[in-house]
Amino acid sequence: MTVEEIRGVVAGNNEINRFPIGMRVLAVDDDPTCLKLLDGLLRKCQYQVTTTNQAITALKMLKENRNRFDLVISDVYMPDMDGFKLLELVGLEMDLPVIMLSGNSDPKLVMKGITHGACDYLVKPVRLEELRNIWQHVIRRKVESKPQSKSNNNHEKSNQGNEGGDQNVKLNRKRKDEDEDVEENGHESDDDPSSQKKPRVVWSIDLHRKFVAAVNQLGDEKAVPRRILDLMNVDGLTRENVASHLQKYRLYIKRISHQANMVAAFGGSKDASSYMRMSPLEGLGDFRILSSSGRLSNAAYAPSGILGRLNSATGVTLHSLMAPPLVQPNHTQNKLQPVNHQNMNLFQEIPSSFDQCSNKPNTQLTDFSSIEESRIFTGNKLVDFNSIDESRMFTGSNPLMDPSVGLGSKSLKLSSTGSESFNLLSSSSNFLDQNGNQPPNFSSNQLPVGGNYGYSATVKGGICSNITTTDTIPLEAHGGGLVDEIVQNVNNQSLSNQKNGQYSKQDYSQYSQNAFSTLASLALASGGGGGLSGPLSHGGLNGGTSALFKTEMPSLEMKMRSSEDGLVVNNGYGSLDGLMTGMMKREQEARMIVDGEFGYDSYAFGPCA
Amino acid sequence: MERNQMQMHRQIATIRKSLFDQGYLDEQFVQLEELQDNSNPNFVEEVVTLFYRDSARFLYNLDQALEKRPLDFSRLDSLMHQFKGSSSSIGAKKVKIECTHFRDYCNARNTEGCKRTFQHVKKEYTTLKKKLEAYFQMSRQAGPIETACRPR
Repeated sequence: MTVEEIRGVVAGNNEINRFPIGMRVLAVDDDPTCLKLLDGLLRKCQYQVTTTNQAITALKMLKENRNRFDLVISDVYMPDMDGFKLLELVGLEMDLPVIMLSGNSDPKLVMKGITHGACDYLVKPVRLEELRNIWQHVIRRKVESKPQSKSNNNHEKSNQGNEGGDQNVKLNRKRKDEDEDVEENGHESDDDPSSQKKPRVVWSIDLHRKFVAAVNQLGDEKAVPRRILDLMNVDGLTRENVASHLQKYRLYIKRISHQANMVAAFGGSKDASSYMRMSPLEGLGDFRILSSSGRLSNAAYAPSGILGRLNSATGVTLHSLMAPPLVQPNHTQNKLQPVNHQNMNLFQEIPSSFDQCSNKPNTQLTDFSSIEESRIFTGNKLVDFNSIDESRMFTGSNPLMDPSVGLGSKSLKLSSTGSESFNLLSSSSNFLDQNGNQPPNFSSNQLPVGGNYGYSATVKGGICSNITTTDTIPLEAHGGGLVDEIVQNVNNQSLSNQKNGQYSKQDYSQYSQNAFSTLASLALASGGGGGLSGPLSHGGLNGGTSALFKTEMPSLEMKMRSSEDGLVVNNGYGSLDGLMTGMMKREQEARMIVDGEFGYDSYAFGPCA
Repeated sequence: MERNQMQMHRQIATIRKSLFDQGYLDEQFVQLEELQDNSNPNFVEEVVTLFYRDSARFLYNLDQALEKRPLDFSRLDSLMHQFKGSSSSIGAKKVKIECTHFRDYCNARNTEGCKRTFQHVKKEYTTLKKKLEAYFQMSRQAGPIETACRPR
């Protein structure tokens, strides 16, 4: 959407086109001196400021009217309520960007803020220059959520009647004047309207599949949003949605290639295909796929078990659905090593298989799919999901798109040719279908979206396979069902660790914010871990999870939170609390899985903003 | 009259400069000044007044906490952290520095050190308060700079 449109949407009626002037900020700080200072600074920036020195009051104000504010700035330390808690609540319930403020610049706290969903973390005393830029978080959120508004079955009311349609859906949500009360996100496959206040395009697996098909069909050079949109022929989807999705997809592919290279470096001797033949599904059990629409993306990742998980994909429209390639289920410990190799081989082979995909899609894809699935869940196997990247490719609202997505990374690589990935995707879809029970919700978090997808899915009791990779955060859409899986984004480096079937400390630092992060954030939010409220721009959690996946969530967050945050893609998440619990459990489980090697503590979350 | 006013303004400027030069105030204070404008004509003074009013309770609590034996260092640290945050909001540089020293001693669980530095904190706090009060008073008397400079 154009700048004007954004402005128009964000600002009130009387301030159209003046955004960020007049942006409505709610400032919360128990210290009156700081509050007054903040008030002065914000007024200087020409924002519309409301202040309160009590978090409880702030919450009340927000609950009364969600559209009354565009942004919330809150102190971390407050006597009546912990700032992080407020952050979670605001992020989860209201999907507003929240900026944390504190006199403490300890990185751990900053990290905590980010993981809880803060858009930004400012250190006191705050300077005017810093505040002048905070409006970007508002825009970012709108933009991020836009693509999410479209879910397969979602009908965005808000889109209708807007000029140009869809793009305003999200923006409209922000406008207090145009409170269309369309909880698009809520309308998406889930029945929890309260979870989202803005409609977002949810990149469900089907949708993503169509997208990839269109991209492949057009070829790399001609794959422009307009054409893709036309080819996809999906109602309510805007060019902007497609454009942003395409961007993520491309990043994802790049990341996948990178990942694959890394995998190749490991040089497994095993035949990748043999690996593929492993029934990944079983291993996947823990696979969590983030499916924005709760669709278990192709990742037929898990055999019933996994699928079960997927079901829970509460609204996590995280693209993660892409590909569970995260985890390679190794059925046996022994296989871990080989698996790794296989994984690598897998990767290596994938390209080739991709090439052949067109020719024998089924064969290839199937393998791939399996791999992907395995990827997703580390379960007993170590998974080096480098390919996670692929899944990550789609940030934000891509629900697990077909496992092909996971393949995706591979396919993405191939995507240059276009057709292959497409084939893969379709194949994976098929593959998924094979599993039968694809729960509508992806419980697994597919973080495949975007960039690096460090996906370390830890399968319960199993080895945690890390699918690390890239920054994308493995969005774990833990649906209720998926609680078991913890998908962790593991850095590529963890691959080596994985060899031993153990996760060494996961280095989340690689998590870059990808769309997944948003998903992650959503997941997180739902997980209650971090109300990724801030960064989560994905409003579109499918499955009604109120999990706010904010694409902006740093991938790390997602990962970390995998268990907690709710990468929950579960559609079935009725309540955030449930998600949170699930997530926490998962995270814990994941920890256990790793033979104690899992180190979650060093989450290096990228900044959300 | 004008000349007097101009003289006063010059005097005020000198005092202000010395506050910075002597390290009583830092850049943050300038931020406050920048926020002062026609719609907010007494912003700086308001914020400073608010600070002194509000921070009194911190000092009181800290005093109380320091009387206890043994010292609850984490509470002391937390109180001081908040106080420090407030002080830095108005640019009270020396106060802030002493707060940092206090916290260092807290972390080292050094009772004597804590008590000693707390006295420093209070001293700096009070000194700055007096200086600022004088400064604001003079500013009020001098009136807005515009009137002083308006040619007649």
